[in-house]
Amino acid sequence: MADADRKPLLDRAAALLAGPFLLGRQALSLAFPSDRETPEAPALALQRIPVTPPEHAIKRRG
Amino acid sequence: MKTRLPDHGPVEAPRFWRTLEERVETPEARQAAHDEFLPGAVPAYDDVHGLPPQSGVSRRDFLGLVSAAAALAATVGCDRKGQGTVVPYTKRPVEVTPGVANYYASAFQEGRRVYPVLVKTREGRPIHLTGNDEHPGVRGKTSPRAMADVLRLYDPDRLRAPKAEGRTIGWTEAEARLHGSLQAAKATGKPVLLLSGAVASPTRKALLADLKAALPTLEHLAYEPAAGDAAEEAARVSYGQSVAIQPRLAKAKVILSLGADFLNGEDPETLAAWGAQRRLKSAKEPINRLWVLEGPLTLTGTNADHRYPVAPSRLAALAFTLARELAAKGLPLPAGANLSALPGGAPADVPTQAWANLVKDLQHAGRNAVVLCGAQMPAAAHQAAHLLNAMLGSEAMALSPAEPLATTRDLEAAVQGMAAGRYAAAIFWDVNPAFTYARATAWKDAVAKVPLRAWIGLMEDETAAQCQLVLPENHWLESWGDYATPGATVLQQPTVGTLYDTRQGEDVLLGLLKALGAAPAADYHAYLRARWEKAGLQGGTFEQALHDGLVKTDAKPTAPAFRGASVASAERAAKGAEGFELVLFPGFAPHDGRHANNSWLQETPDPISKMTWDNPVAVSVQDAQALGIQEGDFVTLTLEGTTLRLPAVIQPGQAKGVLALALGYGRTTGGVAKGVGANAYPFLGLDPTTANVRQGARLAKAGGRKELSRTQSHHRMEGRDIVRSLTMDEFLHHPQGHHHQPELVTLYEEQKFPDHKWGMVIDLAACVGCSACVVACQSENNVPVVGPEQVAKGREMHWIRIDRYYEGELENPKVVHQPMLCQHCDSAPCENVCPVNATNHSPDGLNQMAYNRCVGTRYCANNCPYKVRRFNFLEYTAYKTEPETLAYNPEVTVRPRGVMEKCSFCVQRINDVKIRAKGEGRSILDGEVTTACMAGCPSDAIVFGDLKDPESRIAQLVTATRAYRVLEEVGAKPAITYLADLKNPVEGGHHAN
Amino acid sequence: MRTDASVHAVPIPEGLLEPALTVGKVTPGSLDDQVLAFPETKPPKQWYLALAVTLTALGIGLACIGYTFTTGIGAWGNSSPVFWAFDIINFVFWVGIGHAGTLISAILFLFRKRWRNAIARFAEAMTIFAVMCAVIFPLIHVGRPWLAYWLFPYPNERALWTNFRSPLLWDVFAVNTYFSVSLMFWYLGLIPDIASMRDRTTSKLRKTIYTVLALGWRGAASHWQHYEKAYLLLAGLATGLVLSVHSVVSFDFATSVVPGWHMTIFPPYFVAGAIFAGFSMVVIVLVVVRETMQLKNLITMRHLDVMNKVILAMSCIMGYSYMMEGFTAWYSMNEYLHHGFMNIITGTYGWAGWITISCNIFIPQLLWFKKCRSSYFWMILVAIGVTIGMWFERFVIIVISLHQDYLPSAWRIYKPTMVDFGILLGTFGLFFTLVLIFARVLPVIATTEVKAILPDAQPSHGGSHE
Repeated sequence: MADADRKPLLDRAAALLAGPFLLGRQALSLAFPSDRETPEAPALALQRIPVTPPEHAIKRRG
Repeated sequence: MKTRLPDHGPVEAPRFWRTLEERVETPEARQAAHDEFLPGAVPAYDDVHGLPPQSGVSRRDFLGLVSAAAALAATVGCDRKGQGTVVPYTKRPVEVTPGVANYYASAFQEGRRVYPVLVKTREGRPIHLTGNDEHPGVRGKTSPRAMADVLRLYDPDRLRAPKAEGRTIGWTEAEARLHGSLQAAKATGKPVLLLSGAVASPTRKALLADLKAALPTLEHLAYEPAAGDAAEEAARVSYGQSVAIQPRLAKAKVILSLGADFLNGEDPETLAAWGAQRRLKSAKEPINRLWVLEGPLTLTGTNADHRYPVAPSRLAALAFTLARELAAKGLPLPAGANLSALPGGAPADVPTQAWANLVKDLQHAGRNAVVLCGAQMPAAAHQAAHLLNAMLGSEAMALSPAEPLATTRDLEAAVQGMAAGRYAAAIFWDVNPAFTYARATAWKDAVAKVPLRAWIGLMEDETAAQCQLVLPENHWLESWGDYATPGATVLQQPTVGTLYDTRQGEDVLLGLLKALGAAPAADYHAYLRARWEKAGLQGGTFEQALHDGLVKTDAKPTAPAFRGASVASAERAAKGAEGFELVLFPGFAPHDGRHANNSWLQETPDPISKMTWDNPVAVSVQDAQALGIQEGDFVTLTLEGTTLRLPAVIQPGQAKGVLALALGYGRTTGGVAKGVGANAYPFLGLDPTTANVRQGARLAKAGGRKELSRTQSHHRMEGRDIVRSLTMDEFLHHPQGHHHQPELVTLYEEQKFPDHKWGMVIDLAACVGCSACVVACQSENNVPVVGPEQVAKGREMHWIRIDRYYEGELENPKVVHQPMLCQHCDSAPCENVCPVNATNHSPDGLNQMAYNRCVGTRYCANNCPYKVRRFNFLEYTAYKTEPETLAYNPEVTVRPRGVMEKCSFCVQRINDVKIRAKGEGRSILDGEVTTACMAGCPSDAIVFGDLKDPESRIAQLVTATRAYRVLEEVGAKPAITYLADLKNPVEGGHHAN
Repeated sequence: MRTDASVHAVPIPEGLLEPALTVGKVTPGSLDDQVLAFPETKPPKQWYLALAVTLTALGIGLACIGYTFTTGIGAWGNSSPVFWAFDIINFVFWVGIGHAGTLISAILFLFRKRWRNAIARFAEAMTIFAVMCAVIFPLIHVGRPWLAYWLFPYPNERALWTNFRSPLLWDVFAVNTYFSVSLMFWYLGLIPDIASMRDRTTSKLRKTIYTVLALGWRGAASHWQHYEKAYLLLAGLATGLVLSVHSVVSFDFATSVVPGWHMTIFPPYFVAGAIFAGFSMVVIVLVVVRETMQLKNLITMRHLDVMNKVILAMSCIMGYSYMMEGFTAWYSMNEYLHHGFMNIITGTYGWAGWITISCNIFIPQLLWFKKCRSSYFWMILVAIGVTIGMWFERFVIIVISLHQDYLPSAWRIYKPTMVDFGILLGTFGLFFTLVLIFARVLPVIATTEVKAILPDAQPSHGGSHE
């Protein structure tokens, strides 16, 4: 009983709450488009500092 | 719940029925009527698990499962910060094997000194430095600052791209501007100023010569604010040229230091020789004797056999008097030295008997004696030291010609030139004169008159702020280079590709060279290689040289001849003015200021004062008493119109009337350096013969007190048997002294160690207290930095510390140092009190910490008699991001807030060797496992090894007569054995304390 | 109706007769009316005022705890080498306070000290509240409080187990056991009274709550029989715990190697100190309760007099213990112990040492005088002094011992932060909030037990049965 009945209940409840919120946000953004483009998140590769092996170097051991 | 109906007979029709099905008695309905719950109400576990149908889950089991599930869900639901994803390399870089460390030989330069190093990299990241073991001088050791400099590679303040007028530009534009103005300067014939650090590299020297050829108006000054102008001045007088003096302590029986701090950790070669001498091979081979005459208490002074506090301005007079007395005893006085002007009689600074002993000692030792003078001491003292060494014919030092350095006088001339508008352009390369030049305002005004000011460096500093063109430089671990050192020419190679859009300074100059019409090599690597292949390889290949990091050379530089010394200079220096004598010396952590942004170094306690993150002015005990100054009191220090408000510390052993202040603090740029301590450079004198020793300073209480960020606040041993120190005399006659071995009785079974029993021996006679081990450990074990406020509260995190105690009279105490780290006790008091078993004993004798299990009750730390456990009182690590996190050693867990930590005997290194030995099917060799502190110890005072192996070095050392364990009477059975300190004062003479 | 025995009994001399334990005319009915009426009446303004004060203190404490949770133990003054400070001082302090209640209700019950009946309920409630204040500290003082449950040996998939050699683990069990047994004991005693309140109340809500809490008590003879038996058994259980819990707390110190902690005298010394502190706190609260709730006829000056005598006796034991500490330091010739003891009387924290000695040894000697034992002013002065003194005693034991132990290089002065004081204030807020609420919702005096000692209930007592 428990899971089979309860799970969709929770899902429905979540949808009930989230749906209007998301829709409303979408509607608001259509009515009042933000002036400037939101800056794109920097690409993952740029956030990390690239660590590269040294060129022409000769390692002692390893 | 669900049980099968009994098979026997028909059941009576129900008298009451719930459903029609029940009434008509379908089998399902009959079953349903029998069951407690309707179908579906309870999951049919038995079907799932194939259990007999009768064995339904009981109510208890069900409740148990539900609660367990709830508990688990709650636990699983707890998210932890900083959980990242581990992604394998999609394209593995060449030579990088995940989990395997690569080692590269390279070299680091600090001032005139060069440190050949071996760099450990993990996944391409340099993370730990040791000395290059192939180098005949340093033999695998290096300095604390060199080891800490790996952190500078990952300094978030590093400049990542060129800038012009504060705006980020590309290299093309930057070069265009630089080249344009220098081409114009060449065309107009106007001089160009190039200010750089000391040139110790033959190839860099050649490059500079090429540049000079392409741009004849180039004026190059090599400027090192911490090198000591006075030494430079004195060398020019005594030898007619700049010299480098390298002590050869292996040959020294008697050493006289005139304020020379040669044991301060900067010189691994000297420390190794010192350690070897002091370690006492046999009682018949006496150890050397160190006499120290100095103003402030230095690390060398704390290791002296006889030490007398003498104001630095008096040193020259004393040394010349010594020369006269030695001459009277028959030592030859070299030509050019006339001591007749000296007043007669023994000096008042040193007791008569001691003075006589010193004279006798030096005379007897002759060639095996050496006189060393501190770089910051007045030029006259240097001259006297040169004279004494010449008289003694000392073989305990190597004198070699050195590249000249600019002194304040040269810099003053440059300032005047800039102010007069003489220069078309100025390039500042790895120097920070805006901070280090004594007259900062004059400098600023003068620099503003130079049309193009370019700066090449790592992190934007005070000088960069005055320049239009700011060019980011590679860290030395990303650069090429070479250095001439005694015994070998050392190669510097990059150990990591450049992290940012930076270039090494030489490449900028090469670009300039090209723009000026010369046709040099494509880049500095090619330039260097070409030069080496032409001359420097001694028959080997360049690859082999890179592999070794050096090419050994037999050629001994011819020592410059002694030309003479002027007694008149001593007269001048001795003429004391009113007020205090202020001694300015490079700070232990920041050196001349270049390391001020290095938090590892800032938090490494000064070996004497145990101060971190600050440079209080050190006042002698007598003066503090006279002025009513307490530790931490704010004082105003005034000299020639410059006033500084800073805290004071009372320094036992400092000469009366002398104040000591460290340079390199009080930077105004840098995320770490800014605002740490007070800038003492304005006090620096413009007279190069005595730039660092100033007369006429005034000191007054300013009101208020600062909480000193000091790692040790109690300085006496309270008569406890903690650090044992013996004189040679005591050692030969009563090696155990009045100490008796406590009788340790236990009710419990002794712990068994089946395979290994790791232990450590620390020879206090060899340990000088230089703190190299502290930095090595910090780098190896990801020890966090906590900052000055936390240090003031006693929350520093170092796994190893050096305890320093004063004994005897405060005016000139005897000083002992003792490295203190987790003692890995066999019956560790910390282990039995941990309620969750987070700290426990390994079968090979390690006291281990399971950080993940630690809840943080701190009971273990309370119960640790040695107080070596460190608690993460705050979150010191989680908020760190790249590039800082790149400096971490991936083999050591980074500890979060609320967790206890401590020395692990570098268990990761032990395991690394264990695994390697197992793979090769052999047992672990003695000396194969080295802890970071042991590897970093320049005087080899620390020995780590297996006590179960009777042949091991450590097993032999623990039975030495000097061996003892600290707080043995507590019964914790520490695994660390200390060997008592040895002092070698003149027998029957006046002892140092 | 008089029994034959009492008819022929030799009259007990007047001087040996136990004086009446209540003042004035008290009948079972009047007792019920007096005591059980509080929950029915609206509290006075002063009560709300007091509650506002205690809730403010509690709020400050909670805010400080919240700050500690988000920041770390670094929010406190604890550092190396003083890794424990206010956290454990407060813990031991509150556990100590929590000793009087069970001692009064259990040990004195077993000794048939009938005067205890009037004050047992309140003292016991204070025990519960004090232990609640105490258990906060072990939970919040750990570096990672979200893992504090690891201190319990529970089966887990990682096969990790607790270290039964650690006194901290013994603490967990000792305090938990003490708390649960005290709670049961208290609740058991409450049942008949709650049933009375259930029967008296007119409010529907109260009726429902009291009905549930009374567990179906109807006052049947079988109920009383079981009740008495259970009460006796629990009293026996609790008696052992009174002695064990603080002994175990003292093991935290006694089994360590810290000079100044490693002492065999600690268990009895801690238990005596706990009774000392607990009785003082009971005296303070009883005086206030007696005055503000008009219970002078039930909590008589004789009660306070007896309590003060216990305090005096404990003070003497404390004095002896302090002297023994000094003696051990001298006689053992242990330089570390000697240094630690000298620190208490002459060190940086010498003032704390002298506060301890003055408040715990010197000032309570006033109680030798009957005048002081029967004067509010003096007894409150002594009781507050003892409370302060006992807090400082733990400060002396923990901070002074830790701040200078074996290696002088590690020595350091400890300074508490405002957060430390805030949490201490918060526990006082919690304690008095609970006391205030208790005073208004539950019978503060065990009416059933007092009824047993009313003159009417005493067949042997002449007069009222005439």
